[in-house]
Amino acid sequence: MTTDLETLSINNPTNLWLEIPENQQTNIWEKSQAFSTDNRRWMAYLNNLSLKTFLPWFKEEYAQNAKVFPNSATLPSIWEVTNGTGISFNGKKLVLIPSEALDISELRVPQEWVDIPNWSADYYLAVQVNVEESYIRIWGYTSQANLKNKGTYDANEKAYCLDKQHLISNLSILSIAAQLCPEEITKTETATLAELSTTQADNLITRLGNSQLINPRQAIPFPMWGALLENGAWRQGLYEQRQGMSRQWSIRQWMQNGVSEAARQFGWAAVDLRPSFEGSRGTAAPAQLPTLIRKITISGAEYELLVKPKGEIQNRTWRFELRPATVGEMIPVGVKLMLLTEDLQPFDGNQAQAKKPVERLYVDIALGEDEEGLVWKTEPVSDDYDYEALYL
Amino acid sequence: MRSRQGITELFATFLQFDADRVIGWATDARLRRNITNRQQKLSEPENSEDFWVSYWYKEWQSQKQNLASGHLSAYLQEVCYWAANKTATHFSSGQFTLSDCFQAIVTKTDKVLQGFKPDMGFNIKNYASAIFSSELKELLRQQKEVDISTDWRLLRKVTQKRLVESLENAGLNPQNVQSYVLAWKSYQALYAPRKEKGTRKLSRPDDAVWESIANLYNQERQTQLAQPGPESNAETIEKCLIASAKAIRAYLYPNMASLNATTGDNSGEFQDILPQLRQDSLLSEIVVQEEIEERKSQQSQISDVLIAAINELDKEGQNILKCYYQGNKKQSQIAKELGVKQYTISRRLTKCKDTLLIKLATWTKESMHISLDSSVLDYMSTVLEEWLQNYYKPENVN
Repeated sequence: MTTDLETLSINNPTNLWLEIPENQQTNIWEKSQAFSTDNRRWMAYLNNLSLKTFLPWFKEEYAQNAKVFPNSATLPSIWEVTNGTGISFNGKKLVLIPSEALDISELRVPQEWVDIPNWSADYYLAVQVNVEESYIRIWGYTSQANLKNKGTYDANEKAYCLDKQHLISNLSILSIAAQLCPEEITKTETATLAELSTTQADNLITRLGNSQLINPRQAIPFPMWGALLENGAWRQGLYEQRQGMSRQWSIRQWMQNGVSEAARQFGWAAVDLRPSFEGSRGTAAPAQLPTLIRKITISGAEYELLVKPKGEIQNRTWRFELRPATVGEMIPVGVKLMLLTEDLQPFDGNQAQAKKPVERLYVDIALGEDEEGLVWKTEPVSDDYDYEALYL
Repeated sequence: MRSRQGITELFATFLQFDADRVIGWATDARLRRNITNRQQKLSEPENSEDFWVSYWYKEWQSQKQNLASGHLSAYLQEVCYWAANKTATHFSSGQFTLSDCFQAIVTKTDKVLQGFKPDMGFNIKNYASAIFSSELKELLRQQKEVDISTDWRLLRKVTQKRLVESLENAGLNPQNVQSYVLAWKSYQALYAPRKEKGTRKLSRPDDAVWESIANLYNQERQTQLAQPGPESNAETIEKCLIASAKAIRAYLYPNMASLNATTGDNSGEFQDILPQLRQDSLLSEIVVQEEIEERKSQQSQISDVLIAAINELDKEGQNILKCYYQGNKKQSQIAKELGVKQYTISRRLTKCKDTLLIKLATWTKESMHISLDSSVLDYMSTVLEEWLQNYYKPENVN
């Protein structure tokens, strides 16, 4: 039975009703499989349906530049542990909070979306998903300030709850209010989270990575949990562990077996570029080691980030290199490439900056015996950036 | 339905149904006495409906624990009736009688009073009508979905808030409510549909799942419950969830009999009406009078502003509004007639309404000195919708 969406929308004309694209529902379900429990899979499915239905509409009607926050590849690592999907637009952020509840009596926003500084949004949208009749309905929204002022905090659930009467039922008001009452405060400061060392994070990932632990987000104090999640590399590690996957980001393994499926989702690929780079040496390298490559965009310009061993892989010396995607283009002054430890600390010789327009920037790094995780980053920050660690 | 005459009837009588038919108005003795009492305190009897709406609303705002909400509830009976009538005819599958619909939403009067913003210049009947209809439609939609879902599916389709209300309504004590909620959370964490569609018939979880739900409950109760209570097992957990589902259904279909007593005559206890100082009441009388004058002129000004704003829309926009509200046409029909896609109509309609809202809000800010924020705008958008429906009502259009 399919219900006429229009009849539904007459029922409540101030809400926004959107049809789930017809041919996409099965497809989205099939893409929502890699989760630790039936429930997480189902919640991921609801999030994905909401995103795929809402984002195209939002781009069309409100903000052309709207996109997934932090980026699409990282969504499973979020959905495995909490509910909600971020969208950034015009320097602001909104979070879709899907639910199947028929009674639209309250909105529950997981604390992650409010109190992790990087994730904290300006607006939270209450999305009712009906998978049977293939529609979503935005039945209200709230600003972060309103959620914190009028909402209650549920310590058991680690969520901020807001009753229906405090939500704005008409999404049009999002832009009308910005126009008519720009002075309205929508966002307040967030508290800082704990600082985790790499060892602490590793221990937490081991402990919380056990998929028998159903509610990892409730197992440790929020400041630690928030810090673990904010770091995309750790969050990804946690996700992979909960899927029972082996480490997906080991460069040594990529060199042997090709880039892992997980990393390919993030845009990593291996190409054989050696001859042109090592040509001057003249010695044909016996084992052709591939170069790892990932496309990134900085300030609207396309670049390639390359990772390759210098000399033999046993030397444990690696080069991280940034170059424009188009041959002949230059990297403008000020652009910086840097490497950080897993807990995001800088170290000596960890960065290179363009002092004049250059063809490439690189950082060479010699590692010790033990495998180490390194996080790359650029300045200005590349589009869709989230911390990503490579284990070398 | 006979329309009511005089202040006492308007503010002290309630609609009576026999099966699905209105049989008349019943007077609430306590409310009637209260009005007589108040009338006597005024310098001369007051026969303006608007006066008494303002009067009771002010009193409701100031104390909450008095008869004012009863008076306003009586006053809004017709609005509620017409909202139920309109909705029952259009949307109900016939399963619910007009009387059912009426009884189900008349209880939302508190919501109306809480949400109403008298400073905005719209009258309370407009706002009440908007709230009553949307609440009723929401309720009917929920009931329809609940009816075709199994208990197991239903348990994934409630908010925690609604679950708690349902359990309280079923008479559980706070401690039990807590442990039922935890059982429900454990259930949700471990049982979900396994296909993308056709999930309404979701079946009972198998025994292994029940075991794991009970395990999770037993772990979590140590930290999540004020008193951990006894250990649970698959069997007790299942019972608890079946009871929850039952409570949810029952809460959605309120026992009509219990709702009939809207205000209830509290065993002849009338002493709560304290005699006020004469001066006080005179003062409030004048204030109320002034306010009424102001409101009246605001209401007609608001209409002027909106009508002007409609006339400033382009012809196509005006046409779409008219087709949609007056002709009661579906967007798809309008699209066909105008030879455009349906989403174009829906988008134009939204844009038109946004434009009207912006004009109204700007005018309100400048002329009534009301500072705007999102919640004020939301209120306006709700009442604007109701205003449009009235404005384009066939009988209001020449």
